[in-house]
Amino acid sequence: MAGVQVSNVSRSFGAHKALDDVSIDFADGGFYALLGPSGSGKTTLLRQIAGFDFPDSGRISIGGESVERVPVEKRRIGMVFQNYALFPNMSVSDNVAFGLSVRGEPKAVIASEVQRALDLVQLGTLGGRRPHQLSGGQRQRVALARAIVTTPRVLLLDEPLGALDKALRVDMQIELKRIQREIGITTIFVTHDQEEALTMSDRIGILRDGKLVQEGPPEEIYDRPKSEFAATFLGDANILRGNATGTGIRLPDGTGIAASAGVTLVAGMKASCAVRPERIRIATNAGVPDRAHANILTGRVSKRIFAGNNSTYFVDRDGQTIKVIVQNTGIEKLAEGQQVVLRWSSESTVLIDAS
Amino acid sequence: MATTRILEWLGRVYILMLLAFLYLPIIIMALMSFNVSPFYQLPFEWTTEWYASLWQNNQLIAATRNSVEIAVITTIICTALGTAASLGLYRYDFRGKKFLQALLFPPIAIPWLITGTAMLIFFFGVGIGRGLHAILLGHVALALPYVIVVVSARLQTFAPELEEAARSLGANQWQVTNRVTLPWIMPGVIAGGLFAFAVSFDQFVVSYFLSTPGQTTLPVEIYAAIRKGFTPEINAVSTIIIVVSMALMLLTARFFKFGGEK
Amino acid sequence: MAVQIAAASRSGLRSALPLLAPAYLWLTVAIFLPLSAMVFFSFMTDLPRSGKPWAFTLENYAAFFSQSLYLTLLVASLRLGLEVTLWCIVIGYPAAYVLAKVLKGRSREAIFLLVILPFWSNGLVRIFSWAMVLREGGILDTALNAVLPFKINIDLMYSYPAVIIGLVHSYVPYMVLTCYLTLQAIDDSLIEAGRSLGASRLQVLKRVIIPLSMPGLVAGAVLIFVPVVGSFMEPRILGGRTGTFYGTVIEDQFVAVFNWPLGAALSFILLAVVLVILAVTSPVLRRAA
Repeated sequence: MAGVQVSNVSRSFGAHKALDDVSIDFADGGFYALLGPSGSGKTTLLRQIAGFDFPDSGRISIGGESVERVPVEKRRIGMVFQNYALFPNMSVSDNVAFGLSVRGEPKAVIASEVQRALDLVQLGTLGGRRPHQLSGGQRQRVALARAIVTTPRVLLLDEPLGALDKALRVDMQIELKRIQREIGITTIFVTHDQEEALTMSDRIGILRDGKLVQEGPPEEIYDRPKSEFAATFLGDANILRGNATGTGIRLPDGTGIAASAGVTLVAGMKASCAVRPERIRIATNAGVPDRAHANILTGRVSKRIFAGNNSTYFVDRDGQTIKVIVQNTGIEKLAEGQQVVLRWSSESTVLIDAS
Repeated sequence: MATTRILEWLGRVYILMLLAFLYLPIIIMALMSFNVSPFYQLPFEWTTEWYASLWQNNQLIAATRNSVEIAVITTIICTALGTAASLGLYRYDFRGKKFLQALLFPPIAIPWLITGTAMLIFFFGVGIGRGLHAILLGHVALALPYVIVVVSARLQTFAPELEEAARSLGANQWQVTNRVTLPWIMPGVIAGGLFAFAVSFDQFVVSYFLSTPGQTTLPVEIYAAIRKGFTPEINAVSTIIIVVSMALMLLTARFFKFGGEK
Repeated sequence: MAVQIAAASRSGLRSALPLLAPAYLWLTVAIFLPLSAMVFFSFMTDLPRSGKPWAFTLENYAAFFSQSLYLTLLVASLRLGLEVTLWCIVIGYPAAYVLAKVLKGRSREAIFLLVILPFWSNGLVRIFSWAMVLREGGILDTALNAVLPFKINIDLMYSYPAVIIGLVHSYVPYMVLTCYLTLQAIDDSLIEAGRSLGASRLQVLKRVIIPLSMPGLVAGAVLIFVPVVGSFMEPRILGGRTGTFYGTVIEDQFVAVFNWPLGAALSFILLAVVLVILAVTSPVLRRAA
């Protein structure tokens, strides 16, 4: 086991900067998600860590050992590919045995290690099958067993659950997490599914256009996004734009928005506030002003979408649509076209530098 | 729907007529190799004497041995060089790759008459000369593009992640090729090899220009015999050739077509 | 994945070279250098190694343009190529259509294999087999006279039609193959859509199927036309004295007359014609591939 340090790594393909001065520290034994839209560089970063491609500049080290010029086959990593990449000409056992076999381990050792790995992924009895005889979930497990049987220093997963259907994906998320805990291996996985990233990982790194936008534990990124992109890409957020007033902003119409999360900005510079839709209260009247809901806006319901346990209201205000999600308690039901008052706390408001 | 039925029936009849056009002459030629009359006269009387007399024809036997030897060596060289080149074109990307791929088509598309005479001039000019070695040199060049095309087609069905997966598990380049890539493309390699054998074994034009009186191949020998006059012996050896090449082609089809479905 | 492809290009050629070099060196020595050498020698009075003095000359090309014989023969060969190609289209296209759209399942696979099987079998032997059929007292003659009440003399051997028949027999599988591949790729629902819009069978054929299968038709035509223009063995065996074409004249220069520089010039002129044809049709051919 070992931690992975990526320091100032850049990689260009022609004029396209796929990675632009990226630094992340993946601590030993952690479970990391690299999250970003397609083309953000997350897969490129994973392939740099794996050793399929080398950086133009910067350093990569695994367990303190500098590896940025070491080819993949010498890095002692384990990788699970998007489509599993199981060798079609080999049985399940032979697939899992491959890494030990090319290393020249004795046959007896290989057999027992393969069995142990297959047992770990709960496929102990299927060693004799061919990959095409397995279901998608089973292939996924074989790919995982194959990647960990060589006791790699780090486990890399490239959208490992992307090819599975929704129900199976949730099962596999739990399973993957269990196995990772059991063997305690540093794990880095690439995904574009924010929910997957939030539920599975200890830390998340968000990438965009080859740059690391923000990195930290899921709650921190969700509650304290440092950019409009981070706020809207991980979860849903309303973005209000105006000029900074120190710890809040003033909207163009003069309304003040107080924020107690995020940065403190010099008054007058361009800034925005992000607020999660589920943190906003919606009512037909202003009610009693209270310190817990310092921010107040009024608007008109333009649309309501019912989704079983909750409803989403779209409230129009001054040319902007604000999204509000409320639990359906059976009491409030606001009609489209109704005038409403929105209230939320300054603690739920994140001030973001927008200059 | 009655019209459809009739049209379908007509279609079948038409295909049968085409097959008759393609195969009847060959069948007649084969039958005549079993007929007693040296002037192909009917009625038909069964004999195998023409096949027996082939065994006495030392010149023909020597030419046959040459043909088989050249075809086998061509197959081995083409399979090795062609598979390597296909892997190179598949694995790597570089400027000029399109051009290298396009270069495979002139040898296939240019009439053999031109290629053959050009080889004759060049080999003579640089001192390679004529003979079996020149024929081999030419056959490999003619068959190589076919092997590369066939193996590359098979490689198109191979997922590049498989090589990456093998490398991530610690396999070196040789282990990756040997244990992952080659097993997968083997049907294509075998089909390519059979193609190479067929191209060489059936090749007449290029062999014709590159052969010398003592060093010649079977088709060249047959051509010389035909120009002297038709004999049932020619029918006999032609029948053997056509059976061998069709059997090879059936084998090729089996590997190339059905290989992909495993 | 475009990104990864770009990733490879930097060190690509260096890594690929050991794999590519043997094959391409071989092709260079045995194909590309000879073709270049042919162009070079076509401007010479004699071969350098023949022991005789040699010099550069335009005489060989002058011979082609001054003596109408060569031009006439080239035109005859082009006409032969055209006729054979047309016959192959007439015979091969309907067969490809039946194979692709009428026959189904295993019988289709088996018959398709049977049609293209002769494709790789020995061309010389197949031409020889037609001599068995076409000559006087041959099978066609005997069979027709056995059936017909009156006596006719069928002796097609050593005639222009014999050459055509032999060449069509040799090359029609190409046409079936290329047309079959494009016809098979045409979705049957397109034909049904055409019919549902009120088009007759003929209209669907003319306005949907033939345009869509055009790449295969052109590919087949080129694959047939080019080698037929350069054919010499087929006219020799089946054409006899009437079988003098451009290809046989080239052959003569190398094996009978031993005027290699003239042969090289004639070959190069043919090569130029072939390359022009390939260049003109290459956009369509690329679509077919």
